[in-house]
Amino acid sequence: MRRMRGVVLAVIALTGAMSLVACAKDAGRRGSVGGQAAACKLADKPELIPGLIATTTATGERIDGSHLRVGLAFDVGGRGDESFNDAAAAGIDRAKEELGITDVREVTASHQESEDVKQSRLRQLAQDGFNPIIAVGFSYADSLEAVAPEFPNVRFALVDATVEGAPNVTPLLFSEEQGSFLVGVAAAYKSRNCHVGFVGGVETPLIQKFEAGFLQGAKAAAPDIRVDVKYLTSAGDFSGFNDPEKATHSTRGLLDRGADVIYQAAGGSGKGVFAAVDDADGAMAIGVDSDQYKQKNLAAYRDVIITSMLKRVDVGVVDFLRAVAKNDLSAMPDVLNLKENGVDYATSGGKLDDIEDVLEAYKSQIIAGNIEVRDRPGA
Amino acid sequence: MNLVTTSSAEPNPSAGPMTEPAPAPRRRVPGWLSAMLWVAIAITVVSTTSYFTGLPELTSSGTVQTALRLALPIMLAGLGGLWAERAGVINIGLEGMMIMGTWGAAWGGYQWGPWAGMLAAAVFGALGGLVHAVATITFNVNHIVSGVAINLLGAGVTKYLSTLIFAPISQNPRESPAVPKFDTFSVQPLTDWLRSLEDLQRVGISDVAGILRGLLINVSPLTLIAILLVPVSFFVLWRSPFGLRLRSCGENPVAAESLGVNVYRYKYLAVTASGALAGLGGAALVLQHGQPGYLEGQTGGRGFIGLAAMIFGNWRPGGLLGGAALFGYTDGLQLRRGEETVHALLYGAVLFLVALAIFQLIRRRWLPMVIAGASAGLLYALYWYTDELPEQLTPYAPHFLTLIVLAVAAQRLRPPAAIGATYRKGEGG
Repeated sequence: MRRMRGVVLAVIALTGAMSLVACAKDAGRRGSVGGQAAACKLADKPELIPGLIATTTATGERIDGSHLRVGLAFDVGGRGDESFNDAAAAGIDRAKEELGITDVREVTASHQESEDVKQSRLRQLAQDGFNPIIAVGFSYADSLEAVAPEFPNVRFALVDATVEGAPNVTPLLFSEEQGSFLVGVAAAYKSRNCHVGFVGGVETPLIQKFEAGFLQGAKAAAPDIRVDVKYLTSAGDFSGFNDPEKATHSTRGLLDRGADVIYQAAGGSGKGVFAAVDDADGAMAIGVDSDQYKQKNLAAYRDVIITSMLKRVDVGVVDFLRAVAKNDLSAMPDVLNLKENGVDYATSGGKLDDIEDVLEAYKSQIIAGNIEVRDRPGA
Repeated sequence: MNLVTTSSAEPNPSAGPMTEPAPAPRRRVPGWLSAMLWVAIAITVVSTTSYFTGLPELTSSGTVQTALRLALPIMLAGLGGLWAERAGVINIGLEGMMIMGTWGAAWGGYQWGPWAGMLAAAVFGALGGLVHAVATITFNVNHIVSGVAINLLGAGVTKYLSTLIFAPISQNPRESPAVPKFDTFSVQPLTDWLRSLEDLQRVGISDVAGILRGLLINVSPLTLIAILLVPVSFFVLWRSPFGLRLRSCGENPVAAESLGVNVYRYKYLAVTASGALAGLGGAALVLQHGQPGYLEGQTGGRGFIGLAAMIFGNWRPGGLLGGAALFGYTDGLQLRRGEETVHALLYGAVLFLVALAIFQLIRRRWLPMVIAGASAGLLYALYWYTDELPEQLTPYAPHFLTLIVLAVAAQRLRPPAAIGATYRKGEGG
């Protein structure tokens, strides 16, 4: 008898399950796999406003900085990372040439070091008489907040972050969104499917600036373009900057859905993006920070890198040292924009030769203030 | 294959702990059949979900390929854990051994090609295992302490070695130069046919075709060897005298010693093999098609997840394969499409839980049935009232899933009896 009841119950439950099966929601079908295979309808190209784009940064004025003793604290990776540390190093090298600086000490952070180690590194430089001192990377922000007030006569510069209440710290900020806007335009012009993608390493406000600019640029050039965005990890979990395997699979997912130009801002994971793009027929990639077409470790993927968003940390470093040598920091801009050559796009490889006039036109419009680039996505 | 737990109704409390009461309980389902059953259930749930949510991505060959690639290092680390823990040594140092494996793979691969890279990865991992063995077996260091030390050591040694050897070539102490990779192979005529089936988008058939095709295209020798290592481990550990002795060291080393087994030797062998397997897991991050090579910190905790997959699998090769596959699949889904597919997985979980509730109902086990039914209702409500999961949560979907399954399955897990215990020869009394 009890067995009978069990069977009846089971039948009822099965019926319930069957009806549940029919209750799945329809997916909102945001485009099918593969995407539409047609190039974008492009928006009209804006007018080039002449005379706004600076051709060189050199002011011509000869400044002597030989009396400066410069301390340079790199972030993890240091000289040779082919990313923003190397860009800072390039700035120092140029400053040595142009300003006659001879006394430079370079120190490098290590993986997962504690706050104390960072602080004592900066303190050591200041105590040894180095002035100015440049800290590369936002990871130095907290240490500088502690150390800078102890040495009010030393001039510090911090790449990528600001320190509140420390007048002797000059922030070197870049408008990554403006540079990303331009590569977004390039992506829209180059896409054959009218569908592009963005791979971010970690979802931090800094990387969101790249995303926001890219999105706006692509939409400005082609209003109906589809832009897919993927972050590898959320804020706080920095493994997303260092996991090319994950980046490969995310990129493959974007490509399978039909995106054919992928922009990456993923640090060390970026290689994974290039590897996946290199595997797909006709797909293209856009690099970040430095001219990745020229990087030795990426030589195998050179053919697919159509351009890179350049973040000219070297320009920031040279400008800062020049200002310190003149003893006049008031001339330093708050943020290094397209106008100051703080950000730019790379043309090596010649893949953008046919659309360079378009990009220059957008560039001039941004410099003139006719296009305002947002620094947060969806804002 | 589980030892049937009859502890609640143990008729004779004075019976020795190692002897199973006669007559042997009737096993209803043999191991291979239950494995097939689980695969069938998984495919049914996933393809039903894929059909009703309209997301072919859930069973596309691309997804399966990604899942396989992501599961491989986890599975190898899990196998490593299996060998060590079956011999009674807790191996939390898998992550460190894996890191040494990535370095070895890049170095050997750069010098002499991928096969040498694979060998070097195993050797370097085995060296890490050997250090762990010396510490835990000869010197009786606490297994956890030694394991943590191995993790730190693995990261430190590779950092030193890569600064020494890779930095002059790649100009960067954190990464290796490009390493030659394994070529990949596809089962050509079959996969073309499967592709045409997959493109039909028919219920069931296309799903199975997509899954099969994902497993059969772009297979590298490393993938093949890694997968073969699962049945090999099973036969060595469960079907050979060697394996019986090895496992007896993990269950009751004193008894094994009294029967003439050289416990030290078996433990050393097991932990060294464990390191070699974890090292191969590292190679699976370096030598596969499209991978850039050694990169500092690239393992990202996969060794620990491998350990979790092994516990998930109840210290059995088939179970850990399932754990690694589940983790790889969920991770692959969230990496490829993210919010939508993981959201659809919720629906799949509802189907599975309802099936489970019915199963428990038939067996008239009321409490598990109610729990499964209630969770199904809860998940369905969550599924119905949301459109996609928050972007900040999806990267951790695999971890959540593993945690949940572990919490549910923890009641039935049975680790080797003498795991983590100290053993001294001749102290058995």
